[in-house]
Amino acid sequence: MVRLMRQLQFQIFILPILIVYTLFSIYPLIKSFVLSFTNFDGYTKAYDFVGLKNYDLIFSDDAIVSGMSYTLIFAFFSTMLITALAIPLALILDQRFYTSKLHRAIFFFPSIPSGLLLAYIWGFILAPISSGVFNKVLKELFNLGPQPWLSDPLLAKLSTIVVAAWASTGWHAVLYLAFLQSIPKDYYEAAAIDGANRWQQIRHITIPLLAPAMTISVMLLLTGGLKVFEIPFALTRGGPGFETHTITQVIVLRGISETQYGLASAMSIVFFLIVLLIAYFQVTFMQKREERNR
Amino acid sequence: MTSAPKRIWILDVLMLPVGIVVFFPFYLIIINTFKSLKETASSPMSLPKEWIFSNYAHVIRETPLLRSMGNSATITISSVILMVLIGAMAAYPVVFNSNKLNRGLTVYLLAGFMIPFQTTLIPLFQLMTDLSLINKIYGLVILYMGGAVFVFFLMMGYMKTIPKELVEAATIDGCSVWGIFWRIILPLLKPITVTSIIYQTMWIWNDFLAPMLFLNSQSKATLVLQIYKAKGEFSVNWPMFMTLTVISLVPIFIFFIVMQKQIVKGIVGGAIKG
Repeated sequence: MVRLMRQLQFQIFILPILIVYTLFSIYPLIKSFVLSFTNFDGYTKAYDFVGLKNYDLIFSDDAIVSGMSYTLIFAFFSTMLITALAIPLALILDQRFYTSKLHRAIFFFPSIPSGLLLAYIWGFILAPISSGVFNKVLKELFNLGPQPWLSDPLLAKLSTIVVAAWASTGWHAVLYLAFLQSIPKDYYEAAAIDGANRWQQIRHITIPLLAPAMTISVMLLLTGGLKVFEIPFALTRGGPGFETHTITQVIVLRGISETQYGLASAMSIVFFLIVLLIAYFQVTFMQKREERNR
Repeated sequence: MTSAPKRIWILDVLMLPVGIVVFFPFYLIIINTFKSLKETASSPMSLPKEWIFSNYAHVIRETPLLRSMGNSATITISSVILMVLIGAMAAYPVVFNSNKLNRGLTVYLLAGFMIPFQTTLIPLFQLMTDLSLINKIYGLVILYMGGAVFVFFLMMGYMKTIPKELVEAATIDGCSVWGIFWRIILPLLKPITVTSIIYQTMWIWNDFLAPMLFLNSQSKATLVLQIYKAKGEFSVNWPMFMTLTVISLVPIFIFFIVMQKQIVKGIVGGAIKG
């Protein structure tokens, strides 16, 4: 009896999280799944099951198709760019030089404010008109005419990815830096005695030992990249046309603004599956790679 | 023994321009708050010819910025405290009263990591409407509490490093389940609590999507929402908008300066365990 009482007392502690989590994550997930098979429009309480019709419609909806392709492009290229910049940056910040602390702070700082705010600042810099700061710099340095950084389909995509890289590279460099600093110094000393030069040490000691950090960083970047919303929303408003619409923006547009609940739910379920699939393949692939390097 | 390696001054020289470019956007917004609209348009990059301070007075007078800052603080502080609390509480039975039920519940909770907020957005919107939690500050706080799963995960990892004997000894001494948590376990969780607070504070303080969807009156807006609204109102009045931005950066900047060491440690700790 006393034992049972103790068990019960223990279980009370887990109750609050179970309630909020079930109510605000699991229940909506199941509801999303159910709604995705209906023609629910939010106004009439009654709705019919329409089978897979919504899933079929997804692929003929321009906004949804470009939302998906832009989100995938963004997630992929921003991950590549940030990883390619963060690892060398971490290697540099790991060296001893006078301003290394200052540089760490400067590179890290953009990951502190909200993405929305940062993107608005960049909107000022990249303003497509000739008075835009960046266009002014280009004119003075290379005598180049104004470029439509935010209104050309390709340049707009590029701009959002570069701004995201500016905002997140420092954060990921700090993550790599922590792993770098946990590599025992004797490894390098032993390699130096064996005649390995600096580059060979990086290639054969540092990079393989950074593999676990890379698995984590790339996973965070990919899943975060798929959920991207604020930077394109504030920088290009999703334009030109639907060119830089994110999946999130399309769900809000079709679901909340136009109350096409069925369609938007189908799309959010597809999005969930994409996130799951990409995360699963990335982690298994990169963990295999870690083991190969061991 | 050799002395510490020499400082490589060439890196100072090489990194200087890179650092300047990275910092440049912040330089830009700060200097333009001291200019007139005309000067910002004609020479955005140079230092102001004449330093104007009226933009600050104007923004504080004309926009509910300070109020939004208060809203953001209320929402962030209350949701972070609640999340840390219910996250730590949930980890307690899972670690110290491990049984089949709790192992199952752990899997159930951790599955939540993979659910994107976006996927639950439409039913959430209906749910919040049905519970009449829309446009209520406490409504948003309740919604954020679902994010305690991440805290639970961090806490669980950390609690496993606390020796079980500690709890057993306290039990023999007649300490209740309730008392052990508050008096013995909770005080030991300080390092992971700092990590949790940093992660959750930065997420909630900067969140845009949830406030945009669930708060619609001006008086309840968070700071990020206020920036979004100001962008519409001031549209091309950049000095005014940038002044608002700079003021809104002050709290998070202080947070960064004060917590810098813990932020870096916390990120690494969280990421390694996450």
